[in-house]
Amino acid sequence: MLVRLVVVSLLALGLASTPAHAQNSLVISVWGGNWKDTVEKVVGKAFTAKTGMPVEFEVGGTIDRLAKARVAKGSPLVDLTFTTSHVGRLYMSDGLFAKLDMAKLPNAKEVAKEALRSDYQMGGWSYVYTIVYRPDLVKEEITRWSDLWKPSLKGKIAMPDFDPSHIITIAALMEGGNEATWQKGQEKLKALKPSIAAFYSTDAQSQDLMKTGQAPVQVMLSVNAYHLQEQGIAVKLVQPRDFPGIVGIDCMSVMAGTTKADAAHQFINLALSKEIQTELAKALKAGPVNGGATVPAAFHGQPGIFLTPAEWKAGAYIMNDEVRAKNLPAWREWFTANIVK
Amino acid sequence: MLRLAVLLLVAFMTLPTLVVIAVSFNPTAILSFPPSGLSWRWYVNVITYPQFQRATWNSLVVTLGAVAVAMPAGTAAALALARAPRGASLWATLLLSPLVVPGVAAGLGFLILGAALGLLRSRAVLIAAHVALVLPFVVRSVWVSARNLDPTLERAAASLGATPWRAFQRVTLPLLRPGLLAALLFAVIVSLNEFVVSLFISTRLTEILPVAMFTYVVNYTDPTIAALSTLFIVGTVVAVWLADRFLDLGGVFLHHR
Amino acid sequence: MRLLLTPALLVVAVFAAALSALLRYSVLEFVPGSLQTGGLSLGNFTGIMSRQYLGAVWDTVVLSAATTGLTLVASYPVAYVLARTPSPRVRSTLLVLTLAPFFTGAIVRTYAWVLVLGNTVVTWPVPMLFTARGVLVGLVHFSMPTMILLLAAAISHIDPVYERAAASLGASPARVFRRVTLPLSMPGVVSGSVIVFAWTLSAFATPELLGGGRVKMIANVVRDLALDSFNWPGGAAFAVFALAVTLGLLAAVGRLTAGSERSA
Repeated sequence: MLVRLVVVSLLALGLASTPAHAQNSLVISVWGGNWKDTVEKVVGKAFTAKTGMPVEFEVGGTIDRLAKARVAKGSPLVDLTFTTSHVGRLYMSDGLFAKLDMAKLPNAKEVAKEALRSDYQMGGWSYVYTIVYRPDLVKEEITRWSDLWKPSLKGKIAMPDFDPSHIITIAALMEGGNEATWQKGQEKLKALKPSIAAFYSTDAQSQDLMKTGQAPVQVMLSVNAYHLQEQGIAVKLVQPRDFPGIVGIDCMSVMAGTTKADAAHQFINLALSKEIQTELAKALKAGPVNGGATVPAAFHGQPGIFLTPAEWKAGAYIMNDEVRAKNLPAWREWFTANIVK
Repeated sequence: MLRLAVLLLVAFMTLPTLVVIAVSFNPTAILSFPPSGLSWRWYVNVITYPQFQRATWNSLVVTLGAVAVAMPAGTAAALALARAPRGASLWATLLLSPLVVPGVAAGLGFLILGAALGLLRSRAVLIAAHVALVLPFVVRSVWVSARNLDPTLERAAASLGATPWRAFQRVTLPLLRPGLLAALLFAVIVSLNEFVVSLFISTRLTEILPVAMFTYVVNYTDPTIAALSTLFIVGTVVAVWLADRFLDLGGVFLHHR
Repeated sequence: MRLLLTPALLVVAVFAAALSALLRYSVLEFVPGSLQTGGLSLGNFTGIMSRQYLGAVWDTVVLSAATTGLTLVASYPVAYVLARTPSPRVRSTLLVLTLAPFFTGAIVRTYAWVLVLGNTVVTWPVPMLFTARGVLVGLVHFSMPTMILLLAAAISHIDPVYERAAASLGASPARVFRRVTLPLSMPGVVSGSVIVFAWTLSAFATPELLGGGRVKMIANVVRDLALDSFNWPGGAAFAVFALAVTLGLLAAVGRLTAGSERSA
């Protein structure tokens, strides 16, 4: 019996010491839930059909994946990352992204120049962060950001705790400032505290809060709101009349040090093509970046469905990515210390 | 009165489980109870989801590795403790110490150590951590049996010409069997369910099943985890019921009159 | 004898190496945004003194105390029946129901409460999921099996003859419990309470899944610092703090019970 144990333990140690390798697939870092499902179905399948290379996914929240990437710096565990345009700057300042080789992205010519957020980030789609609420649980109509401060909404609101940039910027705008002079909105934000029922760290948590009715009013991104609608939860998206919603642009980047840079570029190029962009826009209910992509007529005018990047400025508020990235750590700290607790 | 209280308390303990099982058959992604229909789709998802498949394999490898190292090491230590009762309590405290360390402390410590040694890519750190976490259970279980060993039996075997190793194999080990079985059971259970430490030191490729489940719960809101939980629950209830039937678990935990 | 101990000691040495890595990082300076560290500094520990971290410590202590108390009250009746029932079927059923949760793991057990507290079965009059009371329910539920087993073991050691004697002398069942059973089961009550309290201080999965970001216990803060903010030194300091509190608590209780044994 002991001999068997010794043999087994040697085997186990042998298994332990070899690095757990994935086969020859392209590994993509993306948010979970309907994000991963859509990227897999719309882009991943087409990519595998075209190149024969399978696609794998690492899912997680925005900041979670950044932390994981930092630990793996130099020999990344993923090849391509989807992240928001401003958090992408944090990846960049850590040297985690490789410069995009535009020669390998011929489809980028059909894409508006605003979509290339930097030499390292190629925008894939856009959406808006706005107020989303359940009319069946909130009897009054919400039409402005300032409505969030109404006493009738006490204890009904949820917002993200991992990225408070949206509400911080709105509060700053309300006090005559902007994301660079965000301190102007601090007192206003503190006044909002009693209205907040919960904070969510992931999309799943946000959806849970909406489904259970615990937080029927949320600062949420439009794509997630539409996903809730598809699942049968009647939520309403607001086009606030006082200040606009905040634009979000999700970007694709190639990880520095990956051995599959070519494949990663192929994936990005595919995702930028007219056909895939049309599919993505339809599946996510988001704004495409390729000018030739078509958006169903029924989507026109709905919050977050920007037909072209020019509409980002017209219909919503674009934050300065650099300022946003630079301030994010300070915002998170201030927010956690003053609002979350 | 007492019976009513116990009934209510037992209901409190078991109702959440029943809800999980019911929800796992829900045909839609919206969790509802009672379920709006019956569907196996989430069970299919559990079995076909690549990350669960990978995590199950990782769990098997890590648990096997941990048990393979902890069982011999723990058994040897338990024998040492039983044979030298004077110094025993000090060594015992040392050997059982991982039990009192908060999971996050051990987890972060192993993460820092693993990063410094560049070992985070492989399962080595995971297995090492699991061995350390499982060892106290092995030592404790075998020690209970070892304490009741009659040393004269081993001496008798020696006087009849058996080498120490033979005596161990033929006399000691069989007598230790109850303790060894309990140790094996605890070691496997603890390792398979270990979550907090593993959360810190796993990567997507090495993560074990509890960590994969946690990642899923945090990122998805469909009932897939309800299905996986149901599989766990049914499996363990059957295992525990069998153990009680054939091994008299009551005797292990309760004092018989 | 030394030879027999050596393999196990090697394992403990590896564990000790992990803890010493933790200790080392706790006194190194945090350089924001990277894994590099600065020089020696007690800054991480003074950082713990800030309002938000001390708040988490206080919340953890309060939650752990509440959990221990409620678990004790809820577990005692079940433990009593488990220990005293003459019916092997009842005993078997209770044993399976109590033991099975141990083997299903923290995620499975906590997830069940995500469902129940999340208005899936009943719409609660007050919000339960992602609140402190929800976490409390989850923690009590998680701790009951441990407490039941420890209490049942202690109660099973009490010779029923004492209870029968008291009853035959005219004591009501309540009086028998208060004057005979409860005092004699004290060692079980104490060890159960200490174990549940110490475990709950380090609880992670329950507050992480049921707390919704608002209810943070010490373990959650350590995870946030280490895995979100990437602040290994800060997380290490907090983890060392949690370790010290746990050890101190166990030592203090150990001293108290040892003292009571001597005076008994």
